Amino acid sequence: MEVTLTQTLLVTLWAFIIGIDQFNILLHIHRPLVTGLVVGWILGDVQTGLITGATLELVAMGMVPLAGAQPPNMVIGGVIGVSFAIISKLPPEAAVAIAIPFAIAAQGCVTLIFTAFSPLMHKADRWCMEGKTSAIAALNYAGMATHGAFFALVTFLPIYFGASSAQAIVESVPAWILGGLGVAGGMMPAIGFAMLLKIMLKKEYIAFMLAGFILVTYFKISILGLAVLGACIALYDFYAKGSDKGGKAVKQEVHPNGGI
Amino acid sequence: MAESKVNEILENAEYEDQTVKKVVTPGDLVSMVWRSLFLQASFNYERMQACGWLYGILPVLKKIHTNKKDLSKSMLMHMEFFNTHPFLVNFIMGLVVAMEENKKDQNTIRAIKVATMGPLGGIGDALCWLTLLPITAGLGASMAMGPDPNPAGPIVFLVLFNAIHFGLRFGLMRYGYYTGVKAISTMKEKTKQISHAASIIGLTVVGGLIASMIKLKIAWVIVVGQASIALQDKVFDAIMPNMLPLAYTLLMYYLLKKNYSPVKLILFTIVVGLAGKGIGIF
Repeated sequence: MEVTLTQTLLVTLWAFIIGIDQFNILLHIHRPLVTGLVVGWILGDVQTGLITGATLELVAMGMVPLAGAQPPNMVIGGVIGVSFAIISKLPPEAAVAIAIPFAIAAQGCVTLIFTAFSPLMHKADRWCMEGKTSAIAALNYAGMATHGAFFALVTFLPIYFGASSAQAIVESVPAWILGGLGVAGGMMPAIGFAMLLKIMLKKEYIAFMLAGFILVTYFKISILGLAVLGACIALYDFYAKGSDKGGKAVKQEVHPNGGI
Repeated sequence: MAESKVNEILENAEYEDQTVKKVVTPGDLVSMVWRSLFLQASFNYERMQACGWLYGILPVLKKIHTNKKDLSKSMLMHMEFFNTHPFLVNFIMGLVVAMEENKKDQNTIRAIKVATMGPLGGIGDALCWLTLLPITAGLGASMAMGPDPNPAGPIVFLVLFNAIHFGLRFGLMRYGYYTGVKAISTMKEKTKQISHAASIIGLTVVGGLIASMIKLKIAWVIVVGQASIALQDKVFDAIMPNMLPLAYTLLMYYLLKKNYSPVKLILFTIVVGLAGKGIGIF
């Protein structure tokens, strides 16, 4: 079917909105199921939209951001898949095949956005020192605008220029770049943990950190179970010292910034 | 350098103005729920949700800390690494705001944040992403599929999902705040011990998170004549699974101590990722 410019722009607008919703607000209008209804309505074929959206929804079901790891981005996958199912009259399964490469490419780009925002955190530190509360707010609004704008762009281009040329571009990006960004994204939480350790880790706590690591590594204990176990030790420690009239614990406290 | 100035400000964990005034109203709790919807607006790999978290509690921090220096100090502490489940964050928010309102020392507040964020992240994943979402979305999808697709499918999904979503948020916000207030008044004398206890839980959890959240595996296979050795399976996992994530965290920790800035560490990590993938190590 022919897509009018208005329709293209409306789908782009939808992509902007759900680009924000997938990380913030989280009404979950970004799920392919909902996108199927909305994009189907925009492009004038609700029936196909619903079926394709529901099919993509089932594909996307397992792809959730567990423990912060980014899965293939089925938000983009949903918009592109549903759009081309209607535009090119594809069966739902073929729409999934078109959606997946875009979903993987978008995942790589999300990694890039999350990386690009890291240096800004040091600007934010400075604003904190200067008490500039409105700058903190502005940074967050800019973040959301970036998410939305990126998803709008990634949706607009293939619909405007046609899926085949867009797919060729996506596939021309060497796999090692997207893969490498993915690897880096998987390693990066180490920096955040290291920053926490720099502040919190005193000699007396090293054993607890190692114990937590060992319990998860060898015994596959869940983080909740681990926290409860940590709480048991902490409780014992708390009351054992508490019975000592509380004085000893205070004296033991090392210099706040002492570290190791 | 900015880094050293941050350390200088945070060195003394006590707030300058120690007068405790009750300023947080039920309306503030509601408005914090709305603001917490932007928790991941500035999500990034270095601090994750920290800046969005700060955005959420900022108006209340301003009400609590009328002393300019204290406000800066509090803001800086809340800019530190933070990551939890975006729905269950409101529990921690309630707890932390109650502690700020009572001018608890920053070491205690930080330890409580770190001790709660990991477990709530795990509960949230299991509860929301692996239970609530599949059930509601599955129901909606089953209505929208089939020979006779029903447009009500997506709507049913949204209504069911968000009823529970916002129920959780508002409930946990109140629960967290009032739990915090109660806990603080009964444990006033024992701040140091509480901080110590929370640090034990916090660091145990951080150890576990290092093992579970950092993804680093070597794909390299060394071929020696007839034999081939998969480094990850036969060497690293044989010594200790997850030893690479631990080693990388300790390397980052060491470099931070050597005053390398986190930005440098991020760029370093990207280069390692790209180069490693390029030559086939990962």
